[in-house]
Order: sequence, then structure tokens, then C-alpha cells
Amino acid sequence: MTTATVTVTAPGRLPTTDGNIWEIWKFIRISAIWLSIIFGAVWLASYAVGGLIPSLLDKYMATSVAAQNIASILRLLTPLVAVLVFIPINATYMVLAERRGLALFTVRNGPNRVGPDGFLQTGADAIKLLFKENINPTGADILMFTLAPIVFFAPSVFGALPLLPAVTSENGLFNVLSFPTGIFYVLAMSSIPVVGIVMGGWASNNKYSLVGGLRSAAQAISYEIPLVLAIITVCIMVGTLNVSDIAWMQNPWELSQLKGADALARWDGLHVDSQAVQDLRSIGVQNLGNLAFFNWNIFGGDTVSGFLALCIAKKVAGGAMIFKGICALLLILCQWLLCGLYMTGACAEINRIPFDLPEAESELVSGYNTEYSGIRFAIFFLAEFTNLFIVATIAVVMWFGGGSAPIPSSMYAPVMDALGFIASNVNKLLFMIGVPETAPILDPKVMSGTFWAVSKVYFLVYFAILVRGTLPRFRIDQLMDFGWKRLIPLALILLLAVTYLKELI
Amino acid sequence: MFALVGRSVESLRQVARGLGTVLMHAARNPITKDFPDSMPHLAGHFRGRLALAVNPQSGDHLCISCLQCERVCPDKCIEITSHKSPETNKPELINFKIDHGLCMFCGLCTEVCPTSCIINTNDFEMADYSREALVYDLRKLTLTQDESAFYFNKKELPMPKPKPAKPAAKPAAAAAAKPAPDKPAATPEAAAQAKPEAKPADTAEAAKPAVAPDVDKTKELPKAGSDSAETKPEDKDSAKPAENKGEQ
Repeated sequence: MTTATVTVTAPGRLPTTDGNIWEIWKFIRISAIWLSIIFGAVWLASYAVGGLIPSLLDKYMATSVAAQNIASILRLLTPLVAVLVFIPINATYMVLAERRGLALFTVRNGPNRVGPDGFLQTGADAIKLLFKENINPTGADILMFTLAPIVFFAPSVFGALPLLPAVTSENGLFNVLSFPTGIFYVLAMSSIPVVGIVMGGWASNNKYSLVGGLRSAAQAISYEIPLVLAIITVCIMVGTLNVSDIAWMQNPWELSQLKGADALARWDGLHVDSQAVQDLRSIGVQNLGNLAFFNWNIFGGDTVSGFLALCIAKKVAGGAMIFKGICALLLILCQWLLCGLYMTGACAEINRIPFDLPEAESELVSGYNTEYSGIRFAIFFLAEFTNLFIVATIAVVMWFGGGSAPIPSSMYAPVMDALGFIASNVNKLLFMIGVPETAPILDPKVMSGTFWAVSKVYFLVYFAILVRGTLPRFRIDQLMDFGWKRLIPLALILLLAVTYLKELI
Repeated sequence: MFALVGRSVESLRQVARGLGTVLMHAARNPITKDFPDSMPHLAGHFRGRLALAVNPQSGDHLCISCLQCERVCPDKCIEITSHKSPETNKPELINFKIDHGLCMFCGLCTEVCPTSCIINTNDFEMADYSREALVYDLRKLTLTQDESAFYFNKKELPMPKPKPAKPAAKPAAAAAAKPAPDKPAATPEAAAQAKPEAKPADTAEAAKPAVAPDVDKTKELPKAGSDSAETKPEDKDSAKPAENKGEQ
């Protein structure tokens, strides 16, 4: 009660022209606390399962075969543990962020009663949902009805796995997942949830739910094509399907700092080009290293930054430079369009406004999940928000440079030094207690990479919230029209254009 | 083809404009009122819970049991019990019941009331656990002297004249009324039990100085005009019986 009165008398409440800084500040505060909770919990859990326990077993029970087996099983399970810890807490935060963010955009207050500033609102909602009755509608196909949320939710757990090493700067804990067809796997996984929605709609024995489910199927089939084409185009440009390689290639300077010549060799190995191209890339690394920015795929990736490096080194000049410069600009434009295309397709894929036809509240009374209650509904809800996060993560890895910083690294070097100092001392302390030296708990390089990746992901999530607050819903025929007649041709044109432009530069 | 490109560029621009507008909204103060923490600033003519006013000066009950409100009520939610006083040969109020569960807050009863006795207060927090609890009786309906004064001020109603001393009962009534101003039958119990009634007056009065006074005035002024226009016939009505009584 006291906190409530404080907020009332706080400066932001007075009807003056000071804007809404107080409410924005509250939003930032809630986000900061929640995000520290989320990532602290995930890091501790994955450290315990993947780092601490296996290395303790290695160190103190080195002779026992069983202990070794347990250790390796735990190491393999680490990514799964991380994702499973991450998803519920993250969805809790994202729902809160969405509600408060939308409130900001629609000039309201949003939830501010449960806990300070509504901090615990979604936690309370989640608990309430878990205790609610599981209702099976009359005439429903119970097996399908129960399976639908699981089919909807499971892919978002497993689909997210290959993205883990990409956003955590290839942390050793998650290296298991750095496999060569990562993005292919993610895309395959991301098309499964549609089946869950159709199942839910069909099994509910409800006309509206069925219409919602079928709409979802139609929508997902149409919008998956531009979405996949956009990602494929980027893969063609960078020349790999490995998610963590795509992330690294947009970050060559830090790559060389962190992993040394070895990793650079791997990076060059991806481009089995002539010696000249390799020279060019290393010049690019030296000259543009401090501005990692320019290596992001949205700015043409290393194709354009290599060209810029050549220009700086005066290895290309005159008419060729102008021609190639125009090509580079066109490539950048293509990347912007591709990114927009991907965002649009992804919005449709995860049924968010303006493409939320499957659940259109005003027409279909929430569509496929009308009949769901209690924990099944909670799972639908959880998966929806997790999908939003995954989609944003893919965008960050494919276009926004994964863990590379959006500002020159010299700007945050002092912070890194301080972090390094703290990390080395904490690790020393832990080693003194008896934790094996193979499992350092803090690694400043990984921390900075993860920090930037996650900030970018949440930036996109907030952007999605902004879009939700702005755009109205499509009509079903407009949706199909837009998908098939506009986005797919555009995606094909861009695919062609990027393929040629890449060779021309 | 070029037309298509032009159209899509234009539509993208429009979407961006929309996004920008909505983003700018984040910098605006929320229009939501923190209701239970800060009471809304209600106008005098707000039609909330019905109540019976007493004379702010003397504390006499203003109801003259004319039954006009009962007759005019479209919902038939008012029930007045009265009898003819053997001494003065005038109706005398016994009980006054309003079923707020039926009431639609049209305010017709307040318009028709000759003595401005029945008024719409600013209280709207009437949630209760049963329908029966929404039937308010005389005790629950009658306002205290302070509350009546507050609402007479707020609604800018003319102050009722003090009840003329009846020729027969003059000495007794005057003696009883004068020395003990808090004596009036309903007032003490009403104040004691009428918790919801005490609230609006208190909070409204407390809120009044807290809000910037000039804002208050500018809000009140135009409304005051319409209010007085509305209550004009009522003024005459309420003035007349008082005069009549005076003549008697």
C-alpha cells in the first residue's frame, strides 16, 4: 500500500508536460530485474549441470567409469537444461513486458498492483493457470486435445537449441550443438507447431477453433515460403548453414581476439577462394575490426566489408570501384528488404498481430485455444512467447551480427577490463575452494557476447510489441494476397539479386 | 511495376509513420486514473448513490413526504412510508427505502424534489455481497449535516431556510433544536453507522485542496452554469414551500 501511494505522489503522476519518464523508468527497472533473474538462473543452471558437476566428477572420481558416464551425459544435457530453465521464466517476463509495453504505447498504466510496479503480475497469473481446472469439452477428441499443446510447445524447446552456441559466443557448454546444418534444423522445427494448432482446432469440437486452426495452417504454409527464402538467401551470401558460423562471420575481429589464428583459419576455410580474397578479408579484419557493425549481414556482411577494406587499401579504384560500390549499395538494400521480409514472415508464422488471424479475438473468440483452460492453455501461451523470442534470435543471428557489439569495442573496453578483473578473482576463489580449473564460472568474453546478442534480441521483441500496438489485423483474403502475390515474388527476386550481386562485388 | 514499387514504398512510409506515432505515445502521461489510490475528481452533477440531505444549518430532515420522487421514479425503487401527523395535519416521514439494485441513476427524483432533499451524491463505490444490502433505509440514506453542507455547496443548491417553528410545538421544538445542534434524530446513528457516506465527503474534501485549485475552478465554472439552469425550477419549488410555511 505504501508503495502505491508513493507512485501516486511521484513526479510522473502530476499533470504536467514532463512526459512519461517515470513510467518508462519503471518499465526499464522491471526489465532489468527480470532479465538479471532470467539469465542468472539460466547461467547458474547450465554451469552447474554442464561445468561444475562433470568437472567435479572428473577430478574426484576419475577412476569410476560410471561417474565418467554420468559426467558426459550431463554435458550433453546442458543445452536442454538451459532452455528448459529459460523458457518459463522468459515467457513470464515477456508477457509482463508486452503488457506494460503496450500500456506505454496506448497511454495506459498496465499491470501495477501485484508486487512493486506489477513485477509479479505474470507470476501470479501463471500460478493461477496451473491451479485451474482442466476442462475437456463435450465431444472433444481427448487424446488429440491433450497432445496439441505438447506438439505446439515441444519444437520451441528443441528448435531453439542450435541457436544457443550462436548467441553465447560458442561457449564450451553448448558446443555440442554447433552442427553444420543448424539453420536448416531450426527451420524444420519451426514449421511443426502448425500441426499442433490444427490439432487443437480440430480436437476442440468447436467451429471457431476449427476455423482458427485451418486459418493457421493456410497462413503458415503461405508465409513459410518467403521466410525460408529470406534465410536461404543469407545462407547463400555467407556460404554456410551453421548458425554459429554465420554469427561468427559477422564478428571477425572478436573472433580473432578470442580464438586466435586457428579460428581465423576456419573462417577463411569457409571461403575456399583464391589467395587474393583471403588477403582482402584479412585487410578487412584489420581495418574494420573496430567497427564490427559493418560486418553485420544487414550491412552486406563480409562481402561488403571486404570491398570496403579493398577500397581503403587502394587495391580497387576508378570505374571498377564505382560499379562495385553501386553493387554493394544494392546488396545492402537487398539485405534490408530480406530482413523486413523475414520479420513479416516470422510475424505470420508465430501468429502475432498483424497476422494473428488464427486467434482473432473479435472474430473467432481466440481461435484454436478457445476451449483450452488451465495448464494446457498455459503451455500454448508459453510456446507463443517462446516462439517470438526464437524468431527474434534467428533474426539477430542472421542479420544483426549475433554477439557482436553495435558500438566500437574501444567504447566499452574499461567495462570489459573490470569484468575480467572480477571474473579472474571469482574464478580464483572458486578454484581455491576446490572447484576444478576446467570449469571457470565467469568468462568476460562470453558475457559480453551474450549480453549484446540478448540485448539485440530483446530490442526486436520490443519492436514486435510496438508493431502489435500499431498495426490492425489483416483480413484473410488480404493476408493470402499479400503472402502469395507480394512477398513470395519479392523473396525470389531478392534471392536472384543477392546471388549475382555477391559475385559481382 | 514502378507503380507497384511506388505504392509499396508509400505504404511502408505510412506504416513507419504509424509506428513513430505510437512510439511517441510512450512519452505521454497515462490517462488512467489510479482509482483506489486517488479518487476521481467528480463534478457536482455526477449522479452517484442517492441520499437524503438534512438542513445544513439546523440539521432538520428536509423530506416533507410529498411522494413526488416515488411517483416519478421509472424503476419504482423508492418506497416511502409516512403518516399524517395528528398535530400539524401534515405528512410525516416514517421510513424511506431506496433499492439501489433497481435504481438506474436517472436523477429524476432529485429533479422533482421540492426541498432538494433527495440528491445524487458523488459516491459510487456501492459494491456489496447481496441484493438485500443494496436496499438502503432511512438511516443509511440520511446524510450528516456536514455532508449535506458539502453537497449543497458542491451542487450550488440554495440553502434551505430553517424550518419555521410550528405555532403549537414551537417552544418544545425550538428548545430542543437550538441548544443541541447535533440532536436531530437521524444524525448521530447515521454518522456512526453510515460508513460509506462518510467516505465520499471526506475523500472528496481531502482531494479537493490536493488538486490544483485553479484547475478545479475552471472545471467547475461551466458546469455551475448548467447546474443552476437545471435547478432553476427546483429553486422556485423549494423556495415556495418554505415561504408558504413562513406565512403559515
